[in-house]
Amino acid sequence: MRILRFVGRRLLQLIPVLLGVVVLTFLLVRVLPGDPIRSILGPNATEADADAARARFGLDQPIWKQFLDYLGGLVTGDFGTSIQSGASVTGEMALRLGPTLELVFIAVSIAIVLAIWLGIWSARRADTVGDHSVRIFALFGNSIPEFWLGLVLILVGYAALGWFPAPSGRVDPDTNLTPLTGADLIDALITGNGPAISSSAAHLVLPVLTLVIGVLAPLLRSVRASALEVLRSEAYAAAAAHGLPERTLLRGYLRRATLVRLPSLAALVFGTALGSTVLVEYVYSWQGFGQWALRGLLYRDYPVVQASVLIIAFAYVLVFLIADVVHAWLDPRVKI
Amino acid sequence: MLQIEDLSVVIHRPGRQVAALSNVSFSVAPGEVVGLVGESGGGKSMVARAIVGMLPSGSHATGRVGFDGDDVLRMDAAALAHHRGRGAAMCFQNPRGALSPTRTVGRQLIDRLVTHQDMDGKRAAESAKELFAAVGIRNPSRRLEAYPHELSGGMAQRVMISLATGCAPGLLIADEPTTGLDVTLTREILRQFRHAADTDGRGVLLISHDLASIAEVCDRVVVLYAGTVVETGPAAQVLRHPAHPYTRALLRSVPDVSGGRAVATAGGMPLMTAAPHNCPFAPRCAHATDVCRETRPETKALSSGWSLACFHPQEEPLFADTVPSNHAESSGHAEPGRSAEAGRVVLRVQDAHVVYRSRFGSGGHHALRGVSLEIKAGETLGVVGESGCGKSTLAKLIMGLVEPSEGSVEVAGKSVRKQSRVERTRAQMVFQDPIGSLSPRRTVADSIAEPLRAAKVSTAERTKKTEAALQRMELDSSILTRMPHELSGGQAQRIGIARALVGQPDLIVFDEPTSALDVTVQAQILDVIADVAADAGHGSVFISHDLATVRGFADRVVVLYLGRVVEEGPVDEVFDNPQHPYTRALLGSAPRLGETRTADVELVKDLDEADAATGCALAARCPFVTDTCRSQEQTLQPYGESRAACWRIPELPALIGKSSS
Repeated sequence: MRILRFVGRRLLQLIPVLLGVVVLTFLLVRVLPGDPIRSILGPNATEADADAARARFGLDQPIWKQFLDYLGGLVTGDFGTSIQSGASVTGEMALRLGPTLELVFIAVSIAIVLAIWLGIWSARRADTVGDHSVRIFALFGNSIPEFWLGLVLILVGYAALGWFPAPSGRVDPDTNLTPLTGADLIDALITGNGPAISSSAAHLVLPVLTLVIGVLAPLLRSVRASALEVLRSEAYAAAAAHGLPERTLLRGYLRRATLVRLPSLAALVFGTALGSTVLVEYVYSWQGFGQWALRGLLYRDYPVVQASVLIIAFAYVLVFLIADVVHAWLDPRVKI
Repeated sequence: MLQIEDLSVVIHRPGRQVAALSNVSFSVAPGEVVGLVGESGGGKSMVARAIVGMLPSGSHATGRVGFDGDDVLRMDAAALAHHRGRGAAMCFQNPRGALSPTRTVGRQLIDRLVTHQDMDGKRAAESAKELFAAVGIRNPSRRLEAYPHELSGGMAQRVMISLATGCAPGLLIADEPTTGLDVTLTREILRQFRHAADTDGRGVLLISHDLASIAEVCDRVVVLYAGTVVETGPAAQVLRHPAHPYTRALLRSVPDVSGGRAVATAGGMPLMTAAPHNCPFAPRCAHATDVCRETRPETKALSSGWSLACFHPQEEPLFADTVPSNHAESSGHAEPGRSAEAGRVVLRVQDAHVVYRSRFGSGGHHALRGVSLEIKAGETLGVVGESGCGKSTLAKLIMGLVEPSEGSVEVAGKSVRKQSRVERTRAQMVFQDPIGSLSPRRTVADSIAEPLRAAKVSTAERTKKTEAALQRMELDSSILTRMPHELSGGQAQRIGIARALVGQPDLIVFDEPTSALDVTVQAQILDVIADVAADAGHGSVFISHDLATVRGFADRVVVLYLGRVVEEGPVDEVFDNPQHPYTRALLGSAPRLGETRTADVELVKDLDEADAATGCALAARCPFVTDTCRSQEQTLQPYGESRAACWRIPELPALIGKSSS
């Protein structure tokens, strides 16, 4: 009950935050140098052509009028029309969001589970060979750039070993997958398309692995550090001094106390992962949200940039809200 | 059962080496309560760690820790796992820190029951409830669901005891189980340990720095000094006729409620780097001769079960020169009446209320409810009460750190609220944490001169006054350039007192000035405070939860309970002839040397369970409560020389006689 009230209050706070984001991005994209109309018309277009195009996209209106139109559209769920493609931004985004969310969710979930498991394992064997190898791995993951890691994984997994499909998309087109959500694995599961399930899963392995290695490192280090702190705490020493068996100590006295601080970091890492996808998607030709937003920004496609910033802000706020709720659930001392 | 023989522990750290224990031997039998006593750094906790096989890393132990025939020091992992909990279980010093914060206390107890008593979940839950009830937790089934942070200090200590007894150990070890608890609670907790020994036949090892308070429940006492056992013997013997000079110093350092004054022993405990080759106490000992400084005394048996390591066992009575009557003269207020009347009023608190508002809107905590005080120059007022009674709020109120929501506070005839910066320096405070109350980045000289700078005194004058204050504290002027972290606790508190004294204020507030110090250092500081408080130039407020320290030098005493004054009067009158049931209970629970006096009033519940909405504040805990008490607010009425807020006082002696017979 209390948690529901908290969630409700935080969702209400979302309104002013998103409003601020809308205003800021709307102004910022217009301050940036570059003209979207020139970039679609090419160098040979006349001034008249440009004016006509401007009028078509409503860019000839005074700026406050443009803003009010944009805001009115947002209320009805209309993000405007892409200047570059002429298609509806809402429709384009729906197509692009699914694949990226699929990638990020799977990667972050795997990274969190691995980090908890490896971090606690490593802390309990502090300063042994196992612990040192885990820490070296974390350092390695932290310092390797994703695009390079992606290329190496393609070289090894596709070119040398041939275990995984070429980095040329998200699913084999021959499987005739009907797109529903845009997340291919989920679509395949919903439609019960057997070949599509295996094809999309195989396509996911390398990009997910790339993201996991990059994202795992900070989580792993944090889990290890806080597990060490718990292991050295008086409370843990007291439980150990009372002769409780290892299993009880691990499950009841170490794990939950260690995880208390993880949610807020995991939320931050989720944000980083969302950013990393731009490069990972590029390397694996993954037609996703990151690539779309990047192209929008490069061509000064105002509606696309505004929509993508808004969605990213929304995702951040939502993920932090989830993190706070999980934190409160893990730590009885936190009052929400 | 426990047989420690010639145990030595040396801890190697990079760059230094500490001999934590040197040739320690003693034993604990089933059903016996043994007290392990000494000051911090004496090695008490190291003994406890050695018994459960949890010595810190880098330590090297020799000797034998025999437990039921096995040697703990030579146990393998499996044997240790069996030994911990089942063999010896420990109650940790800070129970709230030693309970896992993310697991309900019920689960933590059930874990122990399942592990050590082979119970299944359901039976464990049942006996967890019984164990909680056995250690005096009301509403056990609800408390089982509580997390540690939801418990008060006393409650957490009870839970800790139930956790340790839940392991069904042969030996129960309690590391400072009553530190930080109030007197009324201390008795109750100690009784739990006696109970564990008597009914379950467990051996109990009670570790404490306070010999007087644990002696009552102990069968035997072991006194540690600098990692060596200096005296072992039956509790009554060691408590009343101690033979080792250190034991005597320890006992004499603690002031007594019945009027005995603390006698200070100079110096502090040395840090051993190797096993001592001489008597470690020799530098501080008044009876030390060349023999003591050159050879280490062997442990010799004096009579059955009583042994000590000293060349010069002392025999004369402990308090030869302190009789309550001449202590009044020695502390410098033989004629309190006259000096008090002659003085001007330096503090007047009238019907002050303090309410700490909760962060949003309604509600809040009523910390003080109508307190009135008056102090004249040269007078010392003692303020006593359990934690949470509003003592510290009163100190803050006097210093102008909190605003009264009703009533007024005047220092030197001027309302605290209207004081200017310079006038604020007229009241000074000495804090509980001596090192924490000095700014870590300022030298001692800067710290002492702080009030002078605030009062805009010139630099030359400041230096002069600082040195004068320092001399009064018997400190060398070389200390002036040091930083707080380079000071010992005793030195830091002397600096704190010098800082309070330097501007010749009208009022000094001492807020528990000795409770963070070691026993022998405490006695030294109490000497200094008694000297300072006797000055005619200023009034003093001495706040303490320890009744005995207040008795040492206060002229008048105020007993606070839940923000109200329940009794007030001249110090000897209140202590020797208490009126209010609460004062009687407090005094009855205070530890005394030599005699065991049972309280004639026993409070029925813990403080945190008492709710004081209407009527007498004590109503929920008072054994003599009637409906009138619950509905009527009690005000201070004169009874003899003191005043107390209880309408049943004339009937009390008869009531107490009835309940005890």
